[in-house]
Amino acid sequence: MGEFKVHRVRFFDYMPTAIRAMAFNAHTERLALGRMDGSVEIFNFADHYFQEKVIPGKDSRSIEALCWVGGRLFSAGLNGEITEYDLENLRPKYSLEAYGGPIWTITSNSQGAHLAIGCEDGTVKLFEVLEESIQFERNLDRQKGRIISLSWHPSGTQIAAGMMDMIRVFDAVSMLLVDRGFGGSKSRETVVWSVVFLSDCTIISGDSAGKVQVWDGHTGTLVKTHLVTKWDVLALSVSKDESSVVVGTSEGTVIQFQFIAPTLQQQQDKEWVRTRTFKNHTHDVRALAEIETAIVSGGMDTQLVVRPLLEKFDERSHASALRKIQFPHRNLVFCAKKAGLLLFQFPGQLELWRLGESDGHGENLTHMDGKREMGKYSQYHAHYCRSRQPIHLMTNSVDGKWLATANSDCEIHVYNVQKLKLHCIVPVYGSCPSAMGIHPTTNNLTMVHADQQIFEYSIVEKQYTDWSRKLQKQGLHNLWLDRDTPVTHVTFNPKNPEQILLHDMHMFCIIDQSLPLPDQKTQFYNQMTLRSLSEQERPSHLHAFKICKTFQDLLSVSLLDDQSLVMVERPLLAITSQLPAPVRQKKFAT
Amino acid sequence: MHKMLVEKEVQPHRRSGLMTYRPKMAKKLLRKSPSSSNKFNSANMTDDFQLHLDSSDDDAPEEVTFEESKASALRSMKNALETSKREKDLLKEKRRKRQELFQEQKKRRLLPAHILEEIDTAPAKKQKLPGDQAESNHEEASCSWEEGREGSKEGYEKETKKGFKGNIRSLKGNYSVMRVADQSSTNSQQQTAMDFIQARLYGPGSQRTTNNELLSLENKRGPNKSAAMQFVNKKWGTEKKAKAEKLKKQWIQKQKVPSS
Repeated sequence: MGEFKVHRVRFFDYMPTAIRAMAFNAHTERLALGRMDGSVEIFNFADHYFQEKVIPGKDSRSIEALCWVGGRLFSAGLNGEITEYDLENLRPKYSLEAYGGPIWTITSNSQGAHLAIGCEDGTVKLFEVLEESIQFERNLDRQKGRIISLSWHPSGTQIAAGMMDMIRVFDAVSMLLVDRGFGGSKSRETVVWSVVFLSDCTIISGDSAGKVQVWDGHTGTLVKTHLVTKWDVLALSVSKDESSVVVGTSEGTVIQFQFIAPTLQQQQDKEWVRTRTFKNHTHDVRALAEIETAIVSGGMDTQLVVRPLLEKFDERSHASALRKIQFPHRNLVFCAKKAGLLLFQFPGQLELWRLGESDGHGENLTHMDGKREMGKYSQYHAHYCRSRQPIHLMTNSVDGKWLATANSDCEIHVYNVQKLKLHCIVPVYGSCPSAMGIHPTTNNLTMVHADQQIFEYSIVEKQYTDWSRKLQKQGLHNLWLDRDTPVTHVTFNPKNPEQILLHDMHMFCIIDQSLPLPDQKTQFYNQMTLRSLSEQERPSHLHAFKICKTFQDLLSVSLLDDQSLVMVERPLLAITSQLPAPVRQKKFAT
Repeated sequence: MHKMLVEKEVQPHRRSGLMTYRPKMAKKLLRKSPSSSNKFNSANMTDDFQLHLDSSDDDAPEEVTFEESKASALRSMKNALETSKREKDLLKEKRRKRQELFQEQKKRRLLPAHILEEIDTAPAKKQKLPGDQAESNHEEASCSWEEGREGSKEGYEKETKKGFKGNIRSLKGNYSVMRVADQSSTNSQQQTAMDFIQARLYGPGSQRTTNNELLSLENKRGPNKSAAMQFVNKKWGTEKKAKAEKLKKQWIQKQKVPSS
């Protein structure tokens, strides 16, 4: 591997934002995530949960709920506006003031023709979804309290609204009164945080007293109460086939209820039974979605957790493992190699630091506030690219001749900067590229994709390199493909043209193209073993992938001109220490 | 009866009403007395009189002439009038004092006079600022027309015009300019909604703890039990840190000097 001097950088105070809402689009297999700072992220669940698009937030925008209507994404927030997003240009298309005060929830009916919003002033407003916009249709009867949650009946004829101390079913006579619960506060009203309306007219509600209640929508009576937590039940989601409901609490637990017969006898009626409990979060779970094969949850601890349901998988595999998405799938740190400067990208500002001499402390040079800039290369792309999808990756060659861009349609274009025209288009691969780099001397474009595949393309010859073909033929090692975080940065060693440096959140790797590629039987993580071998034995055991796991929670790895490595780490513990307060759990013997 | 009238100072008008009424009554009664002084043997009259006039049983009623009673009535009226006048004067005095007090308070709230003067005269001094060259030219142009009309008062006019239009105000002190657009745009309804959710999740009764405790518990209950988490407080030992920094810099300087 060689010896490198390491600058271990931990002064990048990157702080992710809490997750507030999510909505899954089953047709396109995209998950839309809304965060507390107003930003919206789109994850492609078909492509290894890759974070495809990010729409940055704004101070004045607030998101309380998200919903999909076909391929269109709508959000509503406490500023009283409904916003539709333009997912091709990554910005809000328009915002419509609803004139009902702050909006707590937005939901669409299964036909996709209407949107209903629940407002602070107690009205449920219905909007008609038109081709290019939405139009106000009518208000339902105004209620005394605020409307916190809404759910359409699958037929689209009834709406259940969760309010303070009660659930109201519109277009029906019944009004369901929610008890204040077993919890201490009899003086505070119970807030029905979430409600779902099933096709057999059963209503399931979660409230601030920690109860999950099953109601009969026809008669307006309570069928069953489950007390699941001492704190609030904040989120509810029902699966598509209505056989399972998941519930998220303030404790950070996600509890599943299934509609099954409680015993094995044939004659037993099915009922809602509490089955599984997952504790994958440390703080409140505020957003939930149950998709076909997994439960997706997110909350105040800023992590997106995908928990695949094991009964849907035939065997234990990489696909059935728990996934936690903690860091963004893009590079936030930029390094000036000669000058030893680091540029950190924050949502609303940039910070420039100079690396220190021996102690590794950086010196903060400037503190710039500004909007995120795509650089002057973006104007060239506007002229020549016919694709409508936004670019999320860009890299240029060291000699300044070439520019490579990648968009969320997995298209990679290479431009000749001097002649200002498109040079070539790399053959499209099924997975989205997560990192790209152009070699300083050979001008080979190295691409790493979300499914962990690596390709090397020669820009000059307009074809894949021999090494790349060899790698594809051999296939990548299983342990490499099983990694669950994408590679976000590719860089090179000017002193050794055969080395490619890349990293993901948990490891840093140097690929040495002069060494043989590992096959499936080789020990993949062999650095420790190599160290224990003698000088004679080593060469036969070497392979191209040299992986180091000493540094964790990596945000960026770069190599300076003086052969020293810069490792920018952001310990998850440091992030946890700055999160809002979790609930107090009384554990035995503590 | 006069005593009563003096004590009750509250209702002057009623009193004067009473006053004017009583003398008539008294007059009537008294008038009756001389004319009927000789005929005072009727039982009713005597009884009434005794109830009213408090005289001894056997004496004849006092002889009061018409003039006397008229004079006394007039006197009492005058007194009454004087009292009411006095009261009106007192009220006026009170009101005047109150008004003065308000003026005083108002004066105190305004800036002291010398600052106001400064503000007014400052623009006259700052005629040569580059950005306002055009403005001051404009001012002068508009002034010149005035000047033409009132020749001798030219200089004074200019100054007052400038002070009046007030393009620049050199406000000394802790003032800062803020735009309304820069302020946070959350209106009161949105703020109420945010407060509601904050209170429900993190307010009283929500039983929350700190991240420190959460992590410490994890340490204690994890597979490798370890001590509680202690977050570094950057404020600890600031003096020592500052001293160390200084020494470090000095040492680096010393290192550089012999090598250069």
